[in-house]
Amino acid sequence: MLANRAVQTSMRRLAARQPGLMALGSQGKFAPPAIVALSQRRPVATERLSDSQAQNSILVNQRLKRPVAPHLSIYQPQITWYLSSAHRITGAILSGGFYIFGAAYLVAPLVGWHLESASLAAAVAAWPFAVKFAAKVFVSLPFTFHAYNGVRHLIWDTGSMMTNQKVIQSGWTVLGLTVASSLYLALM
Amino acid sequence: MIWTRGVASAAAEQSFVPASKTSTVKEPTDEPAAKMKKFHIYRWNPDAPTEKPRMQTYSIDLNKTGPMVLDALIRIKNEIDPTLTFRRSCREGICGSCAMNIDGINTLACLCRIPTKTTQEMRIYPLPHTYVVKDLVPDLTLFYKQYKSIQPYLQRDTPAPDGREYRQSKAERRKLDGLYECILCACCSTSCPSYWWNTELYLGPAILLQSYRWLADSRDERKQQRKDALNNSMSVFRCHTILNCSRTCPKGLNPALAIAEIKKSLAFA
Amino acid sequence: MASIIRPSLLAQLRAAPLSRRVFSTRSLPTIGSCSNPSRRPAIRSHGEPASLAARSSILPHSVGFHATPARPILPPLPQRIQGTTNEAQPIVEHSATEGGYHWAFERIIAVTLVPLTVAPFAAGSMHPVIDAALCATIIIHSHIGFDAMITDYLPKKRVPKTRKLFEWGLRAGTLVVAVGLYEFETNDVGLTEAISRIWHA
Repeated sequence: MLANRAVQTSMRRLAARQPGLMALGSQGKFAPPAIVALSQRRPVATERLSDSQAQNSILVNQRLKRPVAPHLSIYQPQITWYLSSAHRITGAILSGGFYIFGAAYLVAPLVGWHLESASLAAAVAAWPFAVKFAAKVFVSLPFTFHAYNGVRHLIWDTGSMMTNQKVIQSGWTVLGLTVASSLYLALM
Repeated sequence: MIWTRGVASAAAEQSFVPASKTSTVKEPTDEPAAKMKKFHIYRWNPDAPTEKPRMQTYSIDLNKTGPMVLDALIRIKNEIDPTLTFRRSCREGICGSCAMNIDGINTLACLCRIPTKTTQEMRIYPLPHTYVVKDLVPDLTLFYKQYKSIQPYLQRDTPAPDGREYRQSKAERRKLDGLYECILCACCSTSCPSYWWNTELYLGPAILLQSYRWLADSRDERKQQRKDALNNSMSVFRCHTILNCSRTCPKGLNPALAIAEIKKSLAFA
Repeated sequence: MASIIRPSLLAQLRAAPLSRRVFSTRSLPTIGSCSNPSRRPAIRSHGEPASLAARSSILPHSVGFHATPARPILPPLPQRIQGTTNEAQPIVEHSATEGGYHWAFERIIAVTLVPLTVAPFAAGSMHPVIDAALCATIIIHSHIGFDAMITDYLPKKRVPKTRKLFEWGLRAGTLVVAVGLYEFETNDVGLTEAISRIWHA
């Protein structure tokens, strides 16, 4: 194949440089194969696989038996996807709490609950300090994290701070700020 | 010589050779100082499809192995277990065949150094959440079909002004840097949890990076059609900026940034 | 799993020294069962303790795969490829309102939340209108967030009915919450003031 190609190109070059010689060659002994090869025709036929054929092939049955490679459980804990899932979980906690309160406030008069801010404040005031502190942390931790990380996401959406180094730095910054400010808020 | 088991006992026998006889012991080898390291490798055989995937442990001497994980895999296949199956081709990080999950990170085995600490055992899995053809070989059919769906080629209606080639300024060409280098190894796409959960509809970071490569190309004239094809809830917007893709890319590219640019161009067009 | 429930097999397993391993969930290789749950009982019930022990002595270096917990919710289906290998994956139907515009709206809401969240910390008490705006923005933001979760985790093709149920459930929920918050805003002291009072209680 390679030799054939080489002969072909050299013949072409020769023909370009010395047309006379080529004409001579065409009557002579060594031209015909090269001339034939000039018309590029590939002796390969491709066949289109119809959809029904493809659906019945051995491959399709093999595919059905394939396992799925492990994912969440084996992927290295990285700040990228850990904070991302934390963002979603904290968002769900906050919004879930908000939705529960909103719906409960609406049905409260029907059921006889007292969810007015004054009665809630009175109820909370009766708790011991440890319980109050724990409850406040449970609210302030998701809130501060989701807020800071949300800002981080908004910055990314502009296309900035997206290098690996900055992503890692900003991630730890968010975590630090979250812990500090949520503790501060809980002690307020 | 390689031991798959009984390494400790062999080493113990060697150490019992009396000092007076050391001169008669044949040519000193580095075996007492062998740096045996364990590799736990995911195995699944399509010929026994009912058997569950398992982890198989191989322990090899690092002194006799090349520095990269691919060297270790090739050595295991050549000398210990010829049934171990994986893809490899160029051994220099340009073909993307040997993409796999090594110690929890998707990367190319040929670009990943083996940590020399022998106490640390390596774990090698196929690319996460892919269908496994055999052992470390994932099926990337869907990935390639998705690549085809973004029409990854130059599309123009007007001929070149000089009748010869489509010219670009240096600034226009520079926009393609960091995009054209992608080798489609699928490391980023299979590191993306969004792609794990919505493989069929979400295109994934690699394909979106490629898509942006054509959106950013000054010579392409079908930008609006390209954008329209992406503008739906699934193709692009399942990206939640998790950023595993940029973190894992073995070529040091930034698919997340490309996706951010696509999102901006779709949102404020 | 079924074999564990069956009493005769239970007795067999108890007699065997390996029984503890069989009962431990950690030794159950689960990855295969992810893709094909129907196959799991068959293997378990055929694998008698004796043969298990024999096999594990032959292959000391291979352990059952147990690094992946089964995904009990929507495990991945067996692999099916639409069309032939050379055909492109079909393109999702164009919809800018679900695509780019939705994303832009989402960002605008999120950006609006930033000053509205900072304001009560900076100013102390807030004007009722701003407080109501904060409530409305939070509701929209929450709705979009929950909706994104539904789109992510409940594929339309696979669980169309569940998805519809959740989507309409979310809409109804958002409506109820919106009315509830309206009641709260009009009858009570306002969200930020209420939180502040409860917080300092």
